[in-house]
Formats: sequence, structure tokens, C-alpha cells
Amino acid sequence: MNGISKNFGPVVALDQVDLTVEQGHIHAIVGENGAGKTTLMRVLYGAHPANEGSIELNGQPVNFRNPEQAIRSGVGMVSQHYAIIPELTCLQNLLLGAEPSLIINQRDAESRATDLATQMGFQFNWNQPANELSPGQAQKLEILKLLWRNAKILILDEPTAMLAPEDADLLYAKLHELTQTGATVLVVTHRLPDVMEHCDHVTVLRGGKLITSVPVSQTNPSQLAEQMIGVSVTQHTLTESHPGEPILTAENLTILGDKGQDAVKSASFVLHQGELVGIAGVDGNGQRELFHALMGLQPFQGSAILEGQNLRDLSTQQRIASGLRLVAEDRHHEAVIESWSIVENASLGLHRLQDLKKGLGVNREAQLALATAATEQFPTKFDNIRQAFRGLSGGNQQKVVVARALQQNPRAILAFQPTRGIDLYVADLVYRELIEATRKGITALVVSFDLDEIMTYCDRILVMNHGILIEVPPELRHDRQAIGRMMVGATP
Amino acid sequence: MRFLGWRQILLALAGFGLIVAALLIAGAVPAEAIQTVVERALTRPAGWRNIIKEATPLLLLGCSVFIALKVGLFNIGADGQFVIGAVCSAVVALNVPAPINIPLAILAGIVGGCLWAYPVGLIKAYRGGHEVITTIMLNNIAGFLTFYLVSGVLKDPKSQQPSTAYISDLSKLPNILENGPLRINFAIIIAILVVIATWFFLKKTTVGYEIAATGENPNVAKFSGINVNRIMIRTMTASGGVAGLAGALQVLAYEHRFYGNFSPGYGFDALGVALLAGGNPLGILASGTLFATIAESTNVLSRTGVPKGLSFILLGVLVIVFAAFRYRKEANRGSDS
Repeated sequence: MNGISKNFGPVVALDQVDLTVEQGHIHAIVGENGAGKTTLMRVLYGAHPANEGSIELNGQPVNFRNPEQAIRSGVGMVSQHYAIIPELTCLQNLLLGAEPSLIINQRDAESRATDLATQMGFQFNWNQPANELSPGQAQKLEILKLLWRNAKILILDEPTAMLAPEDADLLYAKLHELTQTGATVLVVTHRLPDVMEHCDHVTVLRGGKLITSVPVSQTNPSQLAEQMIGVSVTQHTLTESHPGEPILTAENLTILGDKGQDAVKSASFVLHQGELVGIAGVDGNGQRELFHALMGLQPFQGSAILEGQNLRDLSTQQRIASGLRLVAEDRHHEAVIESWSIVENASLGLHRLQDLKKGLGVNREAQLALATAATEQFPTKFDNIRQAFRGLSGGNQQKVVVARALQQNPRAILAFQPTRGIDLYVADLVYRELIEATRKGITALVVSFDLDEIMTYCDRILVMNHGILIEVPPELRHDRQAIGRMMVGATP
Repeated sequence: MRFLGWRQILLALAGFGLIVAALLIAGAVPAEAIQTVVERALTRPAGWRNIIKEATPLLLLGCSVFIALKVGLFNIGADGQFVIGAVCSAVVALNVPAPINIPLAILAGIVGGCLWAYPVGLIKAYRGGHEVITTIMLNNIAGFLTFYLVSGVLKDPKSQQPSTAYISDLSKLPNILENGPLRINFAIIIAILVVIATWFFLKKTTVGYEIAATGENPNVAKFSGINVNRIMIRTMTASGGVAGLAGALQVLAYEHRFYGNFSPGYGFDALGVALLAGGNPLGILASGTLFATIAESTNVLSRTGVPKGLSFILLGVLVIVFAAFRYRKEANRGSDS
């Protein structure tokens, strides 16, 4: 790819980026959110036409106008949000858009699919509905979809974001095998350990510009981090916590999942004043249900006491009034109303608190003050505090969502993937603010699928696997391998 | 408030253009027809009074639909709630001594409308039954049930038609002035006050904020500690109450009795009124008046031989044009991903 430029309106997403990828390599594209990694990949496989520049494939100039053309030439992408239709079976998903013939011979297709899966060392029950797949399996299915379409160049966007460390290693091993057979893999990621360990070549983008492109053997993580961010960052060092009184005590919580299974099995934990506790684990192991139950969005068995108040007796609104706060996982569907202004969103959920009421209505000055405070907690970029929320970038939206949970005297903050979609620098800031808040006498519980993040910032670590919550013993607190094993249910 | 500016003016102009076009199609000379409309409907007190009379139910039912729409429910059932409100009100007005029967009849209308809407909210909240289906069914039930009642137990024995007796003069809602050009009924004042109250309620109160949040995104509302089921049921019930009030006022101020096929379809016109109002309840004042004016204009024209169905064509085109504008704007917003 030569001199690729891409604008979205006035925003320059890519500025004269060159990229050369050798056949048979695993090539990492790294950069912060908004660096242009994903956009570059989308240009490559035809989802966005470039404003300038040219693309050559095996020496031939190509110009893909849509992903269908790209896949016909062997270029395909697995995006971060899987394009799997939950209502269809695995086989139907695999075939969708690449049906071998007008009338599908189920048995024939199934045996071919199984052959392909076996080559990759995957196993699928082809008639299983796709909504029962774990994120890791869904990703394997996505990769198979590309191979089914004879892709020779695979682009993977944040492939390990949802995987346990061991599954991630396994994935890279399979990718290596693929490259042995002549395939080329492009990996978009922000996880430097993955790059150092598994990739051959690395390209760094920052602010839509190419910063460097070197073999992995000629660089190191701190150099890469500096190149990604533009300034050198100091690794966060844990300050010692001095846990005080318990704030939230949960005993034997059992919570039903949406398929009737026990999503959380008899979980017990105590959150003390002054500590930030992290829950490590792979997505879909009950973290979501645990948080929802604590917020009053679904029922639970067992007991949960927030500073002497039994949560079972409190509605969601009353729990918020008692100081419980949730940083919801899914911004668009759980946390904010995008057509509303920043001001209106900043008070959403807090709108019944005493400070925000005035007679029958919402206290407009207090609402504005709250929004101002929330946007100042983290440096948030916006034109006008009354602009529609959807006008903010994803990172800035997330900052407001996290900052909102810190307003109006919270007692216990439940944060689900609080740094989702924000760049390293701000993610660091988010955790620092959370830690600082806990040091002032509150408590916080964080769910993250990024083990490094948990290990870097949390005072104590819990691991959740198949609904079972266990605490990482203090002596293993810094043992990444051991925690990784606990995440998949093995003995540490 | 921006909404009451150029957009409403444009709408009025567009309405005017449409009238001219439709008249041409109907075979009338536009200039003459417009002259007729201006002389008979728009410049004579009798014409104004008719417009105001027509506007009363449209404003209230427009409010009813608007309130439900705000919480994300499409209340097609305003017509049924209107009819039930009217029959309840007529029964009270006929059987309770005047003048305390006036407030009681109004209350009965509101309660009737509420009760007719409450199950819609319940079914929606707890069973996921779509409100469009349930309200359409309830409209039919309301129509047939009331027709049955006024053909039987409620029928005035002296009448040839399925109708109740007329309410006594003392039971009627009075006019503002009994003589002169202001011989218009208090009902319109109540309707305007309800529009303003709706604006206050939806735009200024905490409950209104929660209703809007629920309407925009029920899941986000739930995560924000709002009891989504409760607020849907209550809002739907309130919407029915306003429609019932419209029915009560229709009986007490204008019709003075209840009869079979009571509503000429006000509840459906109200869908257009609420849509045309855009995002602000105060817009109902403009859109309701526009609807009433068009109705009265075609009424006058029908006497010169232009078919009355013209108003339906006009309103239909108007609503479609407006909807196209509005939803194009929403589609353009797109997502930020």
C-alpha cells in the first residue's frame, strides 16, 4: 500500500501511509485508538475507498471497491465485532454469502466444513445455533469463514481481546501454521506482549501517520509504546492499599443466566474501603450477570449487603441513591442516550438524587454543574456541552460515562471494562482516578478481559471462571501464568 | 421551541400549496375556492367557531398520542379511549344532578379513558404484546360496545337512532360569552391548558425526563434506575386519560349526548397532529389548528361542490411529506462507529 490517505469529512484518518507486508508473515499493526489502524485495514479490504494512494497485491495493482471484490482476490477481515448471525447455525453462518451452489447439500457442506476445521484443529458442532458460541469459538468460526472463501491474506482486528491467555497463544500457533502454508496474516492490536511474542513484523501508526515499520526482533515493548503514544509513559506502580471497613459484602450469590444455567455459582467476596478489586476472566463467565444482579437488573440468591443495607430490598434507583454506581459495559445500549446532549446524559441515573432535584423537576444548574464536573474529570473533547452525545468520539464518550460514576458521592463503583475503546494514556488516567477515589474511602470493583490491565492497577484480584469466583492468593498476585491458568479453571 | 419557527411556517405554506393543487385536481378554480374559504371559513366568526370546535378534540387527542409517543408507545387507540370517555361522561351527566355533574362527568371521562388504556400498558410491559395491535383491537371493542349500549340500556326511548338523551342545559359546559363573536366554549381553554401542562410535564419534570429516557432507549433507562415497566404503564394510562377527557368535553361542550359511531376518526387525525407537532408538545397547538382549519375549509367547499374527501387527501399528503422530512433527518444522523 502506497501513500494511502483517507478523510472522513474534515477528519484526516490516514495521511500518506505506506505499508509493505511480506507473504508468510504475521504482521502487526499497532497504535492507539484513533491511530488509523482499523481504517487502514478497511481500505485494504475494500470497505472504505481511499482518497489517495494505491494498493498492489503480488505486484498487481488492485482497486477493491467493496469487501466482496477483496475476498475474491483472497483478502478478508475478521473485525472486532464479529459478523455472526446468532439465529443461524454455525454451518449456516459459515456458508452465508459463499454458498457452494443454489441448493445447499447439507451433508456435503458439513463434511467439507469439518475437513476445513480439522485442518485448523478446530471443532464445531455445525448444527449448534451460533448464539451459543463463546467469543473464542465465534472468532474461530470467523477465521474459518475467511478460509472457506479461500482467503490468502487474513486481517484480524484485535483478535485476542476476548480470549484467555492460553486461547490467545493457541490462536497464534494456528496462525503460524497458516503462514507456513503461504497465507499472510495482518493483526491489528494494541497488546504489545502479543506483538513481541508472536509477530514477525510490526508497523506503528499514530494520528493517521506511519511512524515506523520494523521487524519485531529489532524493537522492544517500551520503544513501541513510546512510538504509539508519542511520549514516554511510566509504568504505573501500585501504591499500597490500606483496606478499611467493608462496604459491600456478598455471600453465596447465585445468579441465573439467560439460558437458565447458573451463571454465577455461590460467589462470595468483600469490598473494603480504600481498595480497587479486579475480576479477571474471559468474557461470558458470569461477570455480566454478577454486575447486573448487584445493580438490581436481575434477581439473585444469597445475600449482598451495602453498608448495612440489604441490596435485595432496594430498587436500582435506591441502590444508586445508596451510592452504588455502574459503569455499564455497553455504552450505546446501557449507559447513554446518544441523541441527548452531554448535559442530559451526565445526570442520567443520578437524576433522582437530592442535589439534582428542584421541585417536580430536574435542577438545571445542578445538572449543568454535574456535566461540567464530569467532563473536567478527564480531559474530554467536545464543541459544546449541549451538543448531541453521538458527536463525541468513542473515547470521549467513555470518559464521560466513567466520570459520571465518580460524581455525587459514590460508595461502591462497579466498572465493567471501563477502559473499553479509550487509548492507553486515558485508560491509565481512568484507573488512576478510580484508585484515587478508593483511597478517599470508597471501594471499586472492576471487570476487565485484559489481564495485564487488572494486574497493573488492582489491589486484589479475583478470577471468574464458569460462574465460580475465587481470589488469587497474595503470593500469586504477580504471576501472570498462574492467574491465566486460574482463568480457565486449571489449578494455579 | 425552535420548532415553532420556520418549520411551522413552511408547513403552513406547504399546506396552502397542496390545497391549490388538490383543488385543481378536483376541478375547482383555485382562486374562487380560496375566496370561498377565506370568506366563509376564515374571516367569519361562525367559521372560527367551527375551527375552534374542531380543534378541541384534535388538540387533546394530539396530546394523548404525543404523551404515549414520548415513552415509545404508538397509541392508535386514542379513538377508542375518546369514545369510552365520552360514553362514561354522558352517563354521569345524564344521571347526576347539575351542576356538580359537570366536574364528575369530566372525571368520569378521564377515568374511562385511563381504564381503556391501562391494559394496553400492562400487556406491553409484562407480556410484550405490541401496543399497536392491542389498541386497534380495543378501538373496535370500544366502538361496538358503546354502539351496543346506546342501542340498548343507554338508548333514549324517544329517539329513533342509537343515541342517549340530550343532557340538560345546566349540565352543558358553558361558553365563554353567551353572545357576540366570543361565543366559543370553555372546552378550548381546557384543551389549550392541557397542551401547556403536557409541555411542562414532559419538558420540565423529572418524570418527564424519565419518560423521554424510556422512549429513547428503554434499556438505558433500566440501567439508569428507571422502572421501565411502571413508567410505560403509567404513561399509557395518562395518555388514555387525556383522550377520555377529550371525549368528555366533546359530550359536555359540543354534542350534548352520546350516539353510535360517535367519533368521526378524531383519534386517527390525532396521530397526524402529534407527528406534525415534531419534538415539542406546544407544536400541537399549531398542528391541531392546521388540521381543524383544513377540515373546516373543505367543509365550506363541500357546499360549493368540491368533494369533502379532499381534506383526507390533503392531510395524508401533509403527514407523508412531514414524515419524510423528519425521518430523513434521523436517518442522516447515522452511527458513530
